[in-house]
Amino acid sequence: MKYGAIVVAVLILAGGVLTALLSQRPWLAREDVVQPIPFSHRVHAGIRHIPCQYCHEYARRSENAGVPPIQRCVGCHASMAEQVALRPVRKPWIDREQAPFEVRWNRVYTLPDFVRFYHSPHIHAGLQCQTCHGPVQTMDRVTPVYEINMGFCLNCHAQRHVSIECSTCHY
Amino acid sequence: MPPEVSRRSFLKLAAATGAAALAGCKPAARHLIPYVIPDENVIPGVPSFYATSCNECPAGCGVVARVREGRVIKLEGNPADPIGAGALCARGQAALQGLYHPDRLQRPHLRGADGLINPIGWEDAMARFAKALAQAAAEGADRIAFIGPPMGPAYEMIVNDWLGAFNSRMRLAYRALDDAPGRAAMQFCFGTEFKPLYHIDRARVLLALGADFLETWESPVELARQFAAFRNPTKEDGKTRFGLAWYVGPRMSLTAARCDQWFACRPRWEAAVALAMLRVIIDQGLARPGAGVDPDAMRKFAAAYDVGAIATKSGVSAAAIERMAREFARADGALAIAGTDDDAAHVAAWMLNAATGNLGKTVSFTQPPHVQPSGVQRDAMLEAMRAGSIKVAVIAEANPQFSMPAQTRFAQALSKVPTVVWCGTVPDETAALAHLLLPADHWLEAWGDSAPRPGVSGLRQPTMTRVVYSRALGDILLDAARAAAPREHLPRYEDAQQAVRASWAERFNGAGATANFDDFWDQSLRQGGRFTPPPVAEARLAPGVFVHPLALPEVPPAPALTLVAYPHIFWYDGRGADKPWLQEIPEPVNQIVWDSWAEIHPDTARRLELAENDVVRLSSAAGAIEVPVHITPGVHRDAIAVPLGQGHTSYGRYARDRGVNPWRVLPPDRLTAPVAAGRTGMRRELISPLFSPDMRDRPIVETMSLEDFQKGIEPKPWEEPYPEPYETYPPVNYPVHQWGMTIDLNACTGCSACVAACYAENNVPFVGKELVAQGRIMSWIRIERYIPQTTDAPALLMMPMLCQQCSHAPCEPVCPVFAAVHSNEGLNLQVYNRCIGTRYCENNCPYKVRRFNWYKPQWPPPLDLQLNPDVTVRGAGVMEKCTFCVQRIRAAEVQAKLEDRAVRDGDIVPACAQACPARAISFGDMKDKGSAMMKRRADHQVRTYQALKPLNTLPAITYLRQVYRPREEV
Repeated sequence: MKYGAIVVAVLILAGGVLTALLSQRPWLAREDVVQPIPFSHRVHAGIRHIPCQYCHEYARRSENAGVPPIQRCVGCHASMAEQVALRPVRKPWIDREQAPFEVRWNRVYTLPDFVRFYHSPHIHAGLQCQTCHGPVQTMDRVTPVYEINMGFCLNCHAQRHVSIECSTCHY
Repeated sequence: MPPEVSRRSFLKLAAATGAAALAGCKPAARHLIPYVIPDENVIPGVPSFYATSCNECPAGCGVVARVREGRVIKLEGNPADPIGAGALCARGQAALQGLYHPDRLQRPHLRGADGLINPIGWEDAMARFAKALAQAAAEGADRIAFIGPPMGPAYEMIVNDWLGAFNSRMRLAYRALDDAPGRAAMQFCFGTEFKPLYHIDRARVLLALGADFLETWESPVELARQFAAFRNPTKEDGKTRFGLAWYVGPRMSLTAARCDQWFACRPRWEAAVALAMLRVIIDQGLARPGAGVDPDAMRKFAAAYDVGAIATKSGVSAAAIERMAREFARADGALAIAGTDDDAAHVAAWMLNAATGNLGKTVSFTQPPHVQPSGVQRDAMLEAMRAGSIKVAVIAEANPQFSMPAQTRFAQALSKVPTVVWCGTVPDETAALAHLLLPADHWLEAWGDSAPRPGVSGLRQPTMTRVVYSRALGDILLDAARAAAPREHLPRYEDAQQAVRASWAERFNGAGATANFDDFWDQSLRQGGRFTPPPVAEARLAPGVFVHPLALPEVPPAPALTLVAYPHIFWYDGRGADKPWLQEIPEPVNQIVWDSWAEIHPDTARRLELAENDVVRLSSAAGAIEVPVHITPGVHRDAIAVPLGQGHTSYGRYARDRGVNPWRVLPPDRLTAPVAAGRTGMRRELISPLFSPDMRDRPIVETMSLEDFQKGIEPKPWEEPYPEPYETYPPVNYPVHQWGMTIDLNACTGCSACVAACYAENNVPFVGKELVAQGRIMSWIRIERYIPQTTDAPALLMMPMLCQQCSHAPCEPVCPVFAAVHSNEGLNLQVYNRCIGTRYCENNCPYKVRRFNWYKPQWPPPLDLQLNPDVTVRGAGVMEKCTFCVQRIRAAEVQAKLEDRAVRDGDIVPACAQACPARAISFGDMKDKGSAMMKRRADHQVRTYQALKPLNTLPAITYLRQVYRPREEV
């Protein structure tokens, strides 16, 4: 009977561990994210040297970095040579009959609900976006370089002697 | 659990199961959908603020709506507005739950032949409405009626023009709790309906004749602020200043409990007590009548009132009347206010103020509000309906079926109207009688304005897009007029927004709006309106006032009982009952939730053989109600008090079939009625989250008598403090900040605005009656209420109890997973993601401020849109508690960092401190001796104490003791 309990315990434990290993932990940055349109960060940030915050404009002001509005895309692309791939994006701005072009980007980076993260103080402290997001300017499709977990945050905070209180991120 | 499995292995198993459960979490939103064209004024993650003005009661406080990503998440007072001055009561804050109410009418509905309502499209609904209007107007004048509350200048203009377009004058300005007696008394005493402006803070003595100014009377936020100033004990040139307040009325309301003494008075005998006081003042030669008062007439008038007889009949002793009269007359500034349903009490209060020369001193007068709704009286309207001359009745923002007394037979009158159109948010009892139901915008979605008094013009603007397929009331009316009214009578503006603007352009033409109206308009919108000092009017007592004696009511033979119905502090006239926060926050005096009750004196209960929770049947000439009994000495022996506001048969899931509606037994225009009380043999338990009405000699709420305060004597400690503080752990070091709070129990009125603010700010779930009964209420801050058994104490002891953020927190060392940890800024943190729900911390907390999520909290959509995105929504099995609004602390710290500066005093205001009308709560850094919070402690050093100090928990909250005058035995 005693062994029985241990076997049950081991089985349940193994089940838990397996589930944990096999499940997608929803807050982890994801490798396999494919975006609805073939947007290349390498071309924009790498070759063209467009600053990150030209598009992710809220990063220095808000907790969110912000995803650029379609208007921002058209702002440049409207005056550029016709490209077939960009037609659906540009068309609604010329032809009012067209429904506006919308993008449903798939998230690469997600935080669980119990973590609060502000972009603005990190930008203000002079951190490069690449510190957490990796060399995005070399990536056609953004994939995570670092696993953004609590250890990742704490290491950096500890090195820079900034607060590692629980309430810095958890409330 | 089989005995072989030890506790230890069970916990292991539980942990593994927990891991499995966690891994199965649903992923968060997986998509990012950007704007096509961004709104320049919206930065995702940064709140925007819109100023508007509250429409939950006629007081008209200014409101600032905090908007995140296009939805309103919190309402706070507008500091620019002189009425609320930045504070907002619980009712105002709970307006959010009216906006997001899950049972709001989603789209227009038409009642079919089967009596059921079916959804129809807006075009169809408007076509039917217009057709009915056109047919009615074709029949002649006065065929179309509009019933709604007085709605502010712009909307009054719309309604007038609209009725005018159809050649009708049938406008009933209907308020369930109308101050008709006050206005009648004003007319009688001064010959004009002046608007009185009370200045409690300029008085030394206050006499309230049934006026519950801390709850619902007149302007509770403004008067609570004044009352706090009036009661702030200060020493000036060796003299102590501490306002003296009495309350005369049939029940001990919250206001009565916060006064020095509540005199239990037979219902409707408040006027007699005031007149007896007048007699004493005149007899003792203390009268100092102001200009216009004829002393001889006054003497002759007062001689008719015999102090002894009035004392016997009213229940207020002659000695008390004499003492009150002397103090009232001698005070350098005294104020009598009346709030009963009896004109005579209001007249008597004006007489007292006039006889002691206080008119213009503690109460000033201004011209009546700009726009008085014109139209017909209730009875004329009902008669017209019954006669069949009304063909279309539009009822908006009012619920007469609920709040008109049974004897007016409103439903019967309305049944004679062929087309009844209801415009509102949550369908109520009146909607149940309507043929066409049109969803109107909530005031947070609509344009509008308010003019609660001269000098205060509040603007109302949409704070977010619509939650349901509703339309602004003004737009509904104007569209219908365009479709149905003769072309020459069409209103001159397109829609409600233009109407508001046009109304303002007209009213402020020449008054500051000359140069550029666009700038003036933008500025007014930004600050929430125009606020100027009110033009003061000279008010003189009319010569005929002291001519005819006021008749005193009959005293019925001995066992007769009077029902005293009173507006509930949260449900008000019934409109608050659909909001779960207002149902779940305990009424401060009786601490009962989610139900109605009848307050009965212990002697009366014994005579009627009623026990607590027995259902009593109260029958009057109009009908009968059955309601559970709450036995309390806080009510006159011959009175039974029942709160108004419950007893809805409709009005959404939170209000329906809950409690009783006293209007069913009240006569018209009265809040009192003679009733017979009888047992029913049934019981229904009244639910209260309160632990005990008795402190059991523990030092929780501390008080000090005025005498001790004058001498500067601190009360004797409850128990000798530890000779040497016993420390197991090394002292905690706070390198930069140590957050703390000072709460002035003398200023605190118990109004529970802080509780509502906490619910809104911190995503605190409401749990419903059944779980409250099991002690599972979730509020992070509560108003503790204790009833002292001695007269050498205030009538009720009240204190806001929240996490004390102890330096030696008993909760922290018992947590096995370090979910309860101490921060280096003095906060007791609760890390939700670590918490495994052992509840050891809750058991070890001496203040009982930790709350456990027994179930997954529920906010039926769209109530969930109100949730604050800056605060984690806790799941089942997690412990939670007050965080001192750590999200606001973090936001202030981040802002300071972005501006390269340190956090300044005043940057951080927790939700409770922000909401408090009496400004009883201050927050700040305990390491900064210059902070306003620490200065408050220093200024009131003799009153400072810490709750349960002998436990050596070193709380970060310091309370300031309540100062009291010993009460007299009555």
